[in-house]
Amino acid sequence: MKRLRPARPGFACCLAILAAGCSFIEPVAPWEKGTLAKPEMGFDAARFDARYDEHIYTSREAAPAASGVGGGGCGCN
Amino acid sequence: MQLTRPPKRAEEKPKAALMLAAALALPGVLPARAETAPEYGMIGVRYLHYLDEQSGLRRITVNSPSLVFLAPIAGEWSLEGGLTTDNVSGASPRYHTLVAGASKMNDRRRAGDLRLTRYLPWGTLAVGAAYSVEHDYGSKALSVQASVSTEDKNTTLHFGLGGANDTINPVNTVVVNEKKRTTDLLLGVTRVVTRKDIVQFNLTQSAGHGYYTDPYKTFDTRPRERIHNAVSGKWNHHFSGSGGTSRLSYRFSSDSFKTRAHTFSEEYVQPLPEGWTLTPSLRYYSQSAANFYVDAVYDPVLGPPFLAGIRPGSRQYISMDQRLSAFGAVTYGIKIARQFGPDWSAEVKLDRYEQRGSWAMFGNGSKGLDNLTANFVQIGLYRRW
Repeated sequence: MKRLRPARPGFACCLAILAAGCSFIEPVAPWEKGTLAKPEMGFDAARFDARYDEHIYTSREAAPAASGVGGGGCGCN
Repeated sequence: MQLTRPPKRAEEKPKAALMLAAALALPGVLPARAETAPEYGMIGVRYLHYLDEQSGLRRITVNSPSLVFLAPIAGEWSLEGGLTTDNVSGASPRYHTLVAGASKMNDRRRAGDLRLTRYLPWGTLAVGAAYSVEHDYGSKALSVQASVSTEDKNTTLHFGLGGANDTINPVNTVVVNEKKRTTDLLLGVTRVVTRKDIVQFNLTQSAGHGYYTDPYKTFDTRPRERIHNAVSGKWNHHFSGSGGTSRLSYRFSSDSFKTRAHTFSEEYVQPLPEGWTLTPSLRYYSQSAANFYVDAVYDPVLGPPFLAGIRPGSRQYISMDQRLSAFGAVTYGIKIARQFGPDWSAEVKLDRYEQRGSWAMFGNGSKGLDNLTANFVQIGLYRRW
């Protein structure tokens, strides 16, 4: 199996910079999170739509599926 | 539909999160937010129908019924999965978008996936498996994912590792029992920014080795290795005035085939009276061509599929697959959903997709290809328990 190559330094640093940037954001208290608890505010809110969307686009475009890791394959691409 | 409990109080110090932050030399990382187990289960049936078309050719028609479910277990676990059957029929050009000699196909793909998640005070651990079977293609995949949240539950780091093992046996037997193996890596962070804003950034890398050639395309030979990197950002914002939510995302990806792709998407979720929800969406995608893709410029004497200035067999890698050309694509659509009481919901989603060489973001796009259009219809019915 092909080994993963180490990510480019600039590529890997993106996450570190973004995470470090979080320190400048005012923390939101638990009692202020009523709106954030709404389903549509979650990133997995459209989890069932995503199953179809990935299949739709990977059979027409060169970029692979957007969702993370471990998805099943398809002969369509 | 609300599936999650209110966030639990952190009961212990997030040692793992703090150690991880220190290890990554990220002194700015604040204490985080743990994901919580779903409070309710859900089961649903979905149906997808789509049709690909180009000038003078109805290409592929797909009808896909599926079953999806999400089940909480003992308050600290969840099991999620789905089963799908894709019934595929139609014709696909053997090279570029030439209608003459398009290869006809009729196939059924069965796929399933399962993910088990354990919810812990400091985050989550999940294992997943997926498979798919077609008459000429099979795939098995495994994955492990973890998330670590900080104490104030405002920041969550995500990690994922996955592997897939595919087997290719085309009916024309140009190859037999070919393999394709890929390893995926994910690193991400989700951050609560304000009471109405939450953002997520992800880095993904996929390394694959094996048979990437399309066995049904003419003069198609691709490298046996593909390394793919992507970075993405998502931003959800709630509007107090309208009660709606904007879901904006951008993704950049590049790979060892030298394709570069940008994806912008936006959807706006607007709740309406009497349980209705309206979600219009817009997506723009643009990619550059693979470095071994050749344009539809044919030899003036021999004609298609012989290419002007390129002798057959003179290149190590070559492809005339439209999917590896340079183009832009736009999708616009709308989803209409309705809640029926506390337990039932239904939705209909309609999308229109159009792909054109001239819509490429950079450069002029690949020449000589017909526009590709597609219409998608999705219907879903869900029951909560």
